[in-house]
Amino acid sequence: MTTCVWCGRMVTPTVTLATLWHWQPLSTPAVCAACQNRLQPLHAPQCPRCARQQTTTQVCHDCVRWGDAWVNHAIFPYDAVLKAYMQQYKFQGDYRLRVVMQPYIRRALARETYDVLVPIPVTAGTWLTRGFNQVTGWLTDQPFQQVLTVDDAHKPRPQSSKTRQERLRSPQPFQLAPAAEKILPNQHVLLLDDVYTTGRTLRHAAAQIYLGGAKAVTSLTLAR
Amino acid sequence: MDKSQLFGRRLPLDQAPPEGHGIPALRQVNGRWQCQRCQQWIGVNDYLPHRIPYCRHCLNLGRLTSHTKLYTIPEPNQFATLTHSPLTWQGQLSPQQRIAAQAVLRLTQAGRNQLLWAVTGAGKTEIGFPALAWALQRGWRVAWTSPRVDVCLELAPRLARAFAVPQAVLYGDQPRPYTYCPLTICTTHQLLRFEAAFDWVIVDEVDAFPLATSPLLQLAVRRAQKPTGSHLYLTATPGQDLQRQIRRHQLAVTYLPLRHHGYLLPPLRVKLVANWQSQLDQQRLPGNLLRQVRQYQQTGQRYLLFVPHVKDLARVQQALRRAGIEGGVTVHAADPQRQAKVQAFRERRVSGLVTTTILERGVTFPAVCVLILGGDDLVFSTAALVQIAGRVGRQRDHPGGDVICYATSQTRTIQRAQAMINALNRRGRRLGGRCP
Repeated sequence: MTTCVWCGRMVTPTVTLATLWHWQPLSTPAVCAACQNRLQPLHAPQCPRCARQQTTTQVCHDCVRWGDAWVNHAIFPYDAVLKAYMQQYKFQGDYRLRVVMQPYIRRALARETYDVLVPIPVTAGTWLTRGFNQVTGWLTDQPFQQVLTVDDAHKPRPQSSKTRQERLRSPQPFQLAPAAEKILPNQHVLLLDDVYTTGRTLRHAAAQIYLGGAKAVTSLTLAR
Repeated sequence: MDKSQLFGRRLPLDQAPPEGHGIPALRQVNGRWQCQRCQQWIGVNDYLPHRIPYCRHCLNLGRLTSHTKLYTIPEPNQFATLTHSPLTWQGQLSPQQRIAAQAVLRLTQAGRNQLLWAVTGAGKTEIGFPALAWALQRGWRVAWTSPRVDVCLELAPRLARAFAVPQAVLYGDQPRPYTYCPLTICTTHQLLRFEAAFDWVIVDEVDAFPLATSPLLQLAVRRAQKPTGSHLYLTATPGQDLQRQIRRHQLAVTYLPLRHHGYLLPPLRVKLVANWQSQLDQQRLPGNLLRQVRQYQQTGQRYLLFVPHVKDLARVQQALRRAGIEGGVTVHAADPQRQAKVQAFRERRVSGLVTTTILERGVTFPAVCVLILGGDDLVFSTAALVQIAGRVGRQRDHPGGDVICYATSQTRTIQRAQAMINALNRRGRRLGGRCP
């Protein structure tokens, strides 16, 4: 008998004839069915650029204002359920909750075409307090390259505490790691981040990666 | 930081304070990690990268890892002993209440662990007042806690009016920061932040969720109390465990089997119904339940109908509508209009309320009858059933009313609930209680 990592309720493994026939240990899901049902993935119609959930399939207002052809894919809408999840996982630092999203990230990455996977890094200060990078926590065994670095001086306070205008004005926080020049040239890079809010962070990261010689950059985020 | 913040507490700090004793927040015992705040074992998968363990049990109070340190300064009781009683409460206790209050005061003075077993609607809070006044006058540090935050929120202004001492109110998202006070009102979760701090701990609704089923919180209550301290449990429905302690004389007990108006508790009647669950699946309700509700409709009697689960609410309402009974509303814990609906029922704007166990305790409606659908469901514990029965007849003008439980069988929980009500009524009759 195990409990759901998210809500703590009991989870009982489903026993079917097939599981009995294979005579393998019963695999209990880490997340209960109720929590699984609360997570509702994004569905059509979406903005073709940033994957925002909307009523039409036209390019959304924010993407028009950006004026570029950035393509972002996302898995979930950033609704109350995802906010609660991010609150517990990222801000309270419950690293165990990474297993909730691992299957979703695995399936989403399998659908993407890319050469190099680059997760958005966290600052050294965040590493000290949080103790983990929330993005790489979702990766199970997918290879990734940490070609970006970020320092605390550029992030005096977290993005999530700023207004939209402040976020859009924020300066470039990323640098290329020394190893980048060997990895990036002529590669299709996929950036992985937790939430796409204004798109500012991802575009900052992409600008640096293009400088490193990549031929294309797209992104995947857990939530939009 | 003011050092009084650490008196009798157990706080994780980034920097070591000038005074105080620090211990690692997580300790390794025989290869397993144990959290020093909540005393729970760390799960085998609860690690950060680089194999740093962290505690998921008390995560809500701020994450503790093996790198965190907890600081404490032993409780010094820096309160002046008062020359006169801090009790400013002007109310009058009934003769029965006064006898109970005297008994509680005597046991407190003797430093005994005790239980005040008073029926629902007996006025437990006020019975504790004389003993609390005595303790505060002696310069004791006292915590008045409850597992339920709404109890704490309701209690804090009452205690502020009744006692002229500074008080700190602590709960999940409290607006005011912690201060060192002789009287602390908090949820039982907040007690995890204290260590050997209180001379006297009062636990209100000791049998309520989640304290009754949580070893973590039960330990928190014991650890927040000083080794020389004592505790007072307040409840109308002590669980099996507390009743065992009473039988073994490990816990002193004061009974108050009569309500403030002097009438006995209405008995719990059981009516057997065949398979109410499958009837509900077909959007039907047991015939005798429907007849009862119809009768209430004709006489204008208001009723509470308790159902086991949130998902039953809509089905029961549809079944009632199909049977031609209108005027009922449903309410559950996550209902955004919960307060408004309960208020509408209180003001007699609706005739019936279909509810889950959220209204089992802490609410008073004048002149209601109570129906319980599926009293054999696991949700209805003995304590829940007695509490639900206690919603009836709380007022002097309407001391009686029906409490009818519809169940497929007489389960042990139902029998225990009936036995508890009967035992309290036997004691009450000896004290001159009248049948309503």
